[in-house]
Amino acid sequence: MCLRNLLRRRFRTSLCIFGVSLATIFIVAIGATTTRYTATIKEMNIFFSGDVVVVAEGAMVIQAFPVVGGNLPVSVFEKVQQVNGVKTAVPMLVRFGYQVEAVIQLVPTNVSIGIPPGNWSVLVGYTPLKPGGNWPSADLGKKEVVVGSSLAKQYDLAVGSKVKLEKTDLTVAGILDSQSALLSRSIILPLELAQGLYYGHTLWIGNMVVVELEEEGTEKEVADRIEAENLGVKALTTDERNEIVEPLLHDIETWNLGISSVLYLLSMILVTTVAMINVSERRRDFATLDAIGAPRSSIFRMVIIETILIGLLGGLAGILLGSITAILIASFYTNIPLSMFFFDLFDIVPPLLMIKILASTIAVSCIAGVIPAIAASRRNISEVLRSEY
Amino acid sequence: MIVKTQELTRTYRLGASVIMAVNKVNLEIKEATFVSIVGPSGSGKTTLLNLIGLNDHPTSGKVFFKNEDSSLLTDKERRKIRLQNIGFVFQTFNLLPTLTALENVELPMALAKVPRKAQREKATQLFEAVGLTDRLQHRPKELSMGEMQRVAIARALANNPSLVLADEPTGELDSETGTEIVKLLSDLCRKRKTTVVVATHDEKIIDMSDFMYRIRDGSIIHAH
Repeated sequence: MCLRNLLRRRFRTSLCIFGVSLATIFIVAIGATTTRYTATIKEMNIFFSGDVVVVAEGAMVIQAFPVVGGNLPVSVFEKVQQVNGVKTAVPMLVRFGYQVEAVIQLVPTNVSIGIPPGNWSVLVGYTPLKPGGNWPSADLGKKEVVVGSSLAKQYDLAVGSKVKLEKTDLTVAGILDSQSALLSRSIILPLELAQGLYYGHTLWIGNMVVVELEEEGTEKEVADRIEAENLGVKALTTDERNEIVEPLLHDIETWNLGISSVLYLLSMILVTTVAMINVSERRRDFATLDAIGAPRSSIFRMVIIETILIGLLGGLAGILLGSITAILIASFYTNIPLSMFFFDLFDIVPPLLMIKILASTIAVSCIAGVIPAIAASRRNISEVLRSEY
Repeated sequence: MIVKTQELTRTYRLGASVIMAVNKVNLEIKEATFVSIVGPSGSGKTTLLNLIGLNDHPTSGKVFFKNEDSSLLTDKERRKIRLQNIGFVFQTFNLLPTLTALENVELPMALAKVPRKAQREKATQLFEAVGLTDRLQHRPKELSMGEMQRVAIARALANNPSLVLADEPTGELDSETGTEIVKLLSDLCRKRKTTVVVATHDEKIIDMSDFMYRIRDGSIIHAH
């Protein structure tokens, strides 16, 4: 009956569902994008946990990785190795790739990481290579790299394929079997090869040094010692690295929540307005129900179910179209082809996010129906019936 | 006595003035009778019917339904009485447009929580009684005025009420159909020993009535 009531006013109902779905599209697209951003940033937190990361003082760091600026001279690396409490120090050269075919992207599309051969596990932990692959040879003449699975899939790379980096042909020695947002888009190569590609010399060791400690729980002390002995560097503990990104994550989540709240509010106003018009037009129907003895609760329920149906249909349409929009956005800012994202829909828009948004849309529609439902169930029937004649 | 009113008065405020819609009406309606309330438009017939049907509260005076003072009833109790004991037939039929004729008749039974199968059986019987067995699945807009009023009569009788209130049931119908409808209502209710109160300004209905009240300016001016 409720669905038929809505269908009776098809145009208005369709417009209302369209309005709710439009708001939901934005909520899904923004929610999915920010969720992916925050998940990627949080995922970066797992790297080098318990270690101290040394970067140049002016470098902009997200979690453990210097995103912009700041190379470290070899002398700094040598000093760090000598600091009391340092077990091992592994230099790395990290370069985020923002450019695809001369077009600058909003977010990095890949990341090249140079590491001294034999120290791969400092970055990848226990992540294996796909069968048939090997880690790059220390022989620089072979110019070998390991690429992440996402890059391999996108560019159809296999062991033995050639890739071009900084106008240099490199050979794929292995493919990293990882779903990590960072590792799956990474190009891992020997540090000296990376230095040659990006610096043209070896006077700079890289742009970060990962320091393993002799004793657990001494991060702060060792970091302070490194900073005291090496002018112009930041030695970041795990806590400090988290503190850097917390405001960023907080800002992203606040904006997401703020925009979603405004959109939910607009949906609510729209649904309430449409439901009030419907109730006003159907006052004779409600008066008739009242006259034949329908309980107030059933009249109230009828209006609420109608608004919930609007929320459900608008929410479902919004989630469907919003997911497509989120994929388009993700494809646009990562330069990864759409076809690769369609198979990973639930990575872009997690099912839990879909359920949360659908539940919120239905809840908002339900709340939006309360005032019209009260108006419908509390009509003065004798006045309505009298005014008919 | 199924309905009795005592000094029943209902006034309305219209700006600064007070409209006396029903003025100290005393009437008694016996069970299983056909009663007409006759008067011109604006004489207070609909207001009186709304008061008797527990759709409205009097400004002063009392309505007794089956010897029970309605002023002592809660809103829930009044709704229950309306649902189970009173049937309404309106001038403009007031069928719910999104429901089929069958569903309109089943609606009061559904609200009274009658089992689904029993609803269907009872509704089918009522459609046979009003002669509309071929229109069960039609929506109100697909029915003629006379057919709509037949559906409305079937709906009014769905929960076997002891009282049926009909407000100008022939008002939207041509003379011939109007006569048929009133005869149908009268016959059905007499068979079921249901009391019928018809508000009308149609003088022809008086002939079919057991009792008639003539109302003008909210007051009963003649009882016969």
